[in-house]
Amino acid sequence: MSGQGLTGLSNWSRRLVALGVLAWCLITAFPLYWVVVTAFKTPPGVVGGPTYIPFVDFTPTLQPFIDLYQGIRGEFFRTFLNSTIVGLSAAAIATAIGAMAAYALVRFEFKVRFGAGLIFFLLALGGYLLFNNNLGFTRAQALLLAFPIALVVAIAANRLPLPGPILGNEDILFWFVSQRMFPPIVTAFALYLLYSEIGRLGFQLIDSYVGLTLCYVAFSLPIVVWLMRDFFEAIPIEVEEAAMVDNVPSWRIFLGIVVPMSMNGLLATFMITLAFVWNEFLFALFLTNSKWQTLPILVAGQNSQRGDEWWAISAAALVAIIPMMIMAGLLSRMMRSGLLLGAIK
Amino acid sequence: MMRNDPIKHVFIWPAVLVVLAISIFPLIYSFTTSFLSYRLIPPIPPRVVWLGNYATLLQEPRFWNAILTTTLIAFIAVGLQYVIGFGVALALNARVPGERLFRVALLLPMLLAPVAVALVARMIFNPTMGPLNQFLSMFGLANLPFLTNGHWALGCIIAVEIWQWTPFVILMMLAGLQTLPEDVYEAAELENASAWQQFWGITFPMMLPISAAVVFIRLIESYKIMDTVFVMTGGGPGVDTETLTLFAYQEGFKKFNLGYTSALSFLFLIAITIIGVTYLALLRPHLEKRR
Repeated sequence: MSGQGLTGLSNWSRRLVALGVLAWCLITAFPLYWVVVTAFKTPPGVVGGPTYIPFVDFTPTLQPFIDLYQGIRGEFFRTFLNSTIVGLSAAAIATAIGAMAAYALVRFEFKVRFGAGLIFFLLALGGYLLFNNNLGFTRAQALLLAFPIALVVAIAANRLPLPGPILGNEDILFWFVSQRMFPPIVTAFALYLLYSEIGRLGFQLIDSYVGLTLCYVAFSLPIVVWLMRDFFEAIPIEVEEAAMVDNVPSWRIFLGIVVPMSMNGLLATFMITLAFVWNEFLFALFLTNSKWQTLPILVAGQNSQRGDEWWAISAAALVAIIPMMIMAGLLSRMMRSGLLLGAIK
Repeated sequence: MMRNDPIKHVFIWPAVLVVLAISIFPLIYSFTTSFLSYRLIPPIPPRVVWLGNYATLLQEPRFWNAILTTTLIAFIAVGLQYVIGFGVALALNARVPGERLFRVALLLPMLLAPVAVALVARMIFNPTMGPLNQFLSMFGLANLPFLTNGHWALGCIIAVEIWQWTPFVILMMLAGLQTLPEDVYEAAELENASAWQQFWGITFPMMLPISAAVVFIRLIESYKIMDTVFVMTGGGPGVDTETLTLFAYQEGFKKFNLGYTSALSFLFLIAITIIGVTYLALLRPHLEKRR
């Protein structure tokens, strides 16, 4: 590989370019350095103006972290645990069922009639209005009734020769990915209302493990399906064909051959999903209030609660950031092996 | 080769069901709510107002202000991200010394929680105790109103967006650059084309499809901006930096004005769709020419 695009440059301008990249790296690194340093400062080290170098400018202390651990500034330990539990389980579930769907879209043929999709939407909407307005069900009950009815009718209708275009695998993939385009506030707010309605039926979803995880799984699926499809497409089909000649069932081909072969891809997808869930703010803001609060909410709250206590704010931010720093290191290793290149074509 | 095997349904249905239940269904719910006048506090029984909520919103200056703010942030931030990101990607691809070291550093910002990044930004932009203030004081620019003046605050938010998301552009562009064929450049070299000519004649046109995709993704994502603004300025001063999502949050979660908020989120959805479709329509002729 040669240096495309820069080969015609003189030595002098090459140095200029290197300087530019270095400048960008410094801009990237400085805020990170700043938060790490500030987290070890004592109050006088902050209020007396900016200080930069530990042991020279100020005496580092572990007090901010001890405060955090002891829960002086909110239940940090539990929130950290919440974030970890929800993050790991949502990422694991999303990667598992997303990979299955991606595999199905790569290797099997699907045909969905446009008419059936339309029937689903109209029945769900109409059924909901009918049950709610005319038959006296509550809004949540009406939704929960209309949904399965519309689904069953639409699946049955898909077998009939309806007029209109037939959608294939590409369209299903597009449908998955387009979910990512929706402004999350649309769903977050509606989901909050829906969850509280269901809560009134006696099934607590707001501020619960199930509710939060379910929502994160749904919102990670588009990325998972998109990424995993590329990994699966890169697997040579001959291996699977050989297994099929021996009459190995499809689920064993998937678990025994395809999954082990794309382990790196699964791992990368899992980590990207985990990062997404770990950092997510809007849904957590709407769907949790105390027990299942996640780290971003607590970190955001630090600001308004205690004003300019930067040492504590930095320590809090650092706790939220460090796991992702470790992951960045791991991911960049995978990147070097060209792993993620396929994902963007 | 496509197989056909009933087991395919077992593979695809879990994902489809979850997405249907969690994202399509609330959509229907809020779509119907958007035609109601419906408040939780004070509790008023829902009343059908048809397009009333939409009409009120379209006459609301705060709504247009939020649209303008969001659009400004998205377009300026993404534009600069693209220029800086492409530049750095070109440099890294050209094997600038020390390129390996940069990679982890470059990947980092986009993996960090925007909330945490915004908190750090607040410290750096602090007008009296922040390091940026000290740096600028050396040039005689002390105590600038970084987050307390509307224009400055908008600039600071854009700066944070650029800091956090340029790495994404770098990553994508770098991957794209590595797929470009070598021989075209060798031919250009024989013709004595300058680096500048090579860029505009070869690199830029060949990178156009991936550029379009990257800018599209970033633009759509930028329109959703909320957490950064929430922590850095809370939409203030006044409503100078209030974005669409933040506006919806204030209306929905502070005032519990359900019908109004649902209408707002649907207008948001329509706006995003219009922007997306226009963008793709504008770019299509350029993209197809290259195929």
